[in-house]
Amino acid sequence: MQSREDYFVPDGSYWPILGSIGMTALLGGFASSMHGNAVGTIAMILGFGIIIFMVFGWIGQVINESESGTYNLQVDKSFRMGMGWFIFSEVMFFAAFFGALYYARQLSVPWLGGAGNNLYTGEVLWPEFKSVWPLIQMPDSSNFTVPKGIIEAWQIPAINTLTLLTSGATLTYAHWSLMNKNRAGLIGGLIATIVLGVIFLGLQIFEYMEAYQHLDLKLTSGIYGSTFFMLTGFHGLHVTLGTIMLIVILMRAIRGHFKKDRHFGFEAVAWYWHFVDVVWLGLFIVVYWL
Amino acid sequence: MNYIILIFFIFIIYSLGSALYYMMYDGGKSKRMVKALTLRVGLSIALFLVILFSFWMGWIKPTGVA
Repeated sequence: MQSREDYFVPDGSYWPILGSIGMTALLGGFASSMHGNAVGTIAMILGFGIIIFMVFGWIGQVINESESGTYNLQVDKSFRMGMGWFIFSEVMFFAAFFGALYYARQLSVPWLGGAGNNLYTGEVLWPEFKSVWPLIQMPDSSNFTVPKGIIEAWQIPAINTLTLLTSGATLTYAHWSLMNKNRAGLIGGLIATIVLGVIFLGLQIFEYMEAYQHLDLKLTSGIYGSTFFMLTGFHGLHVTLGTIMLIVILMRAIRGHFKKDRHFGFEAVAWYWHFVDVVWLGLFIVVYWL
Repeated sequence: MNYIILIFFIFIIYSLGSALYYMMYDGGKSKRMVKALTLRVGLSIALFLVILFSFWMGWIKPTGVA
């Protein structure tokens, strides 16, 4: 173990200030865009472009520094700590949405139907309302899109569960291949995982089209529609991000990066993918089954 | 049946969590992380099969419009 005095101090970098400019343009532009300002929309798109440029540029620089042997064990440790905090924020993020679903489903909707000590809430406000989940018949549906039905568990959701579970297995194969110095297995496993991730996203888009066009199940379909699309939508966004990260890892693997005992980039992305996989399993059970 | 699913899920979270711990503290030098993740995948597939079998046996029903 090297001493703390050996900590690697990077040179001055323009990436942080560029990232700040990008974020300011993105958020400021978005706010202006919401007020119908065309310049705001341009600033928003420009800000997004700057952020993407910054992410690829900065991470590219970090990869080059890592491959040139600049980093020592202290840097490795700081990467792992950074990943730990990132994961903590991700867990809290999904906990908030699962918590919202729990609150609506187990507490607030039954209260509207008169559960607990809210008998008179039901009697006085909506005496005709019966609390059921999925909440298709809202107490007052005048401001909502009333859905004709919901997505059935044994259609696309089950196929998607199988797809993601298989991707977890192919990624584990890639991981074992890396540990056993099998480069072809590593690359093959990563390609299979990426393909399965893309299939998942394609099926998810198809499911959303089905929900919007045939079932009238929309983000505006009351609390069921809101929680359904927020949970599955943000999960889909994470799969998209995970797929992009896996593509970067694949490119690095093809270039010969990662060694049996030095592959934190692979470990971080692999764990992230497994996490997203477990979140889906939780969604599949809670949203579609329980 | 819900309890069996819950127990499976707790073990899945545990194996995922232990993989995280090994990633944080082993520095990529042991096989403990990949072993924990392999267990995670195995348990997840087993849980999916349990759900499949329970549905086939009529023990559980998917969320549906009443």
